Amino acid sequence: MAIVLDIQHLSKKYGSLQAVDNLTLQVEAGSIYGLLGPNGSGKTTTLGMVLDVINPSSGSFTWFGKPVSRDTKRRIGALLETPNFYPYLSASQNLRLYASIKGADPASINEMLDLVGLGTRSHSAFSGFSLGMKQRLALAAAMLANPEVLVLDEPTNGLDPQGIAEVRDLILRIAAQGKTIILASHLLDEVEKVCTHVAVLQAGKLKVNGPVTNILAKTEQVLISTDEAGRALQLLEHLPYVTSFASEKECIAVTLQENYTSADLNRDMFAQQIVLSQLVVRRKSLEAQFLEITKNNA
Amino acid sequence: MNLLRIELRKILPYRTAWVILGIFTGLLLLVLYAASNFSINGSAIGSDVYRFPNIWQTITYVASYFNLLLGILIIVLITDEYTFRTLRQQVISGLSRADLVLAKFYVVLGLAAISTLYLLALGLYFGLLYSSVKTGEAILGQIDFLSYYFVQATGYMALAMLSGFLIRKSGLAIIAFIAYAKIVEPLIHYSLPDEVDKYFPMKVLGSLSPMPGQKLIDQLTSPTELLSPIWATLPAIGYIGLFLLLSYAILKLRDL
Repeated sequence: MAIVLDIQHLSKKYGSLQAVDNLTLQVEAGSIYGLLGPNGSGKTTTLGMVLDVINPSSGSFTWFGKPVSRDTKRRIGALLETPNFYPYLSASQNLRLYASIKGADPASINEMLDLVGLGTRSHSAFSGFSLGMKQRLALAAAMLANPEVLVLDEPTNGLDPQGIAEVRDLILRIAAQGKTIILASHLLDEVEKVCTHVAVLQAGKLKVNGPVTNILAKTEQVLISTDEAGRALQLLEHLPYVTSFASEKECIAVTLQENYTSADLNRDMFAQQIVLSQLVVRRKSLEAQFLEITKNNA
Repeated sequence: MNLLRIELRKILPYRTAWVILGIFTGLLLLVLYAASNFSINGSAIGSDVYRFPNIWQTITYVASYFNLLLGILIIVLITDEYTFRTLRQQVISGLSRADLVLAKFYVVLGLAAISTLYLLALGLYFGLLYSSVKTGEAILGQIDFLSYYFVQATGYMALAMLSGFLIRKSGLAIIAFIAYAKIVEPLIHYSLPDEVDKYFPMKVLGSLSPMPGQKLIDQLTSPTELLSPIWATLPAIGYIGLFLLLSYAILKLRDL
């Protein structure tokens, strides 16, 4: 897989505050890369540096294997922090301006406005827009010139639940076209729902990164119910890949080792003529995982 | 030229820019018109300084006071970009820091050209009104004052640009710009001999539009030493280059 963004030992210091600390990571083409971390963990600073608006204190990065330039910027669409537009210009005037910077076809402007649901408001001044509309206009601006990579910093900020669902849907649709998306968020749920890869930042340091499934599925928890609970418990004690189990109200919660799945458990139960009436895989949520990661290293 | 087109997309629909330009053109016209009716010892000023070819020196001298308005316009245009955070978005979209400075410098050159053309129109109007000799030679006699004015307006706006990029807040940047041009540098002039301070930026820019009748005043008081307009042009262009370089350095060193 081609590397779209390669960050090497990137650091940023604001006075005595180390905002980003020796960050190294790679983003592969075609992935939806989530940058996850609490507020103030250095997500926006990192994106600001790779987008050429914040000077790194040290370290380097390349886009498509090249240093940042007008050419690489044309292949990237970005929304950093807040939607930045001229308040007295209309939505389409604003987009036209950015289109001429990016060398995008002006004919695509209306298409983009329709895509984000602002088609009917294209001639209204930006200053009269709600936060959600501003955010959607910023998404439209980011998608001008059909970029290969979208960098989105908190793209669902300020949106109502319906807007959030729409933006997520939009991200998935864009990703389905084979584009790479880099998404910063403090919303775990958001990253879990859309991302293929995730990097967790805390206090400017990279805590963990990799495919979301790896980080999530390290350990799997399975809930089982059966009429023969006693025999099942006996069996569980003898199964080598069961790390722990506990009886809950109606069921038994079983934690499996890595590389074992609920299918293994089901097969062995059935071999012992224990019929399960319920088998539920409860993945450890990213939230639980995230809290564990940030707690362990704090 | 794409940079200029981008700037025009911002400025043309911007009412504030038109209001400031309107004040500039209106006030200049008003002052020139009012001054043409003043009289000293019974003879109207208009009859002398408004004639070709003196009119060009008169008009550029009067206009030099209004360069502050052009500077304020430039400061507003630049500090707006900080307020709206649009400099940042333009860099993300593909412009370099040098492009940002260059784009604004094109605006400066454009405004200087427009105001010079406006002075040309005003000069022709008042000149034709008051002159009895209307030969081409008389009309074009001292028209080179217009080119000095162009350099001067560019210089004022380049300083305003530096102030805008440096301070980023419109109110403070305007105060700093006016305070430097009208208070700080004149105070420095007091404590320095003329041969040194005549090379200071504001004095150099001022030398490009000498006061009509300065020679007469110099005979009555101790003369102040000034560069002649033609000798002031070179250092003025040097200062313009310096202001541009400093603006670029500020953008380069600071985060957007």
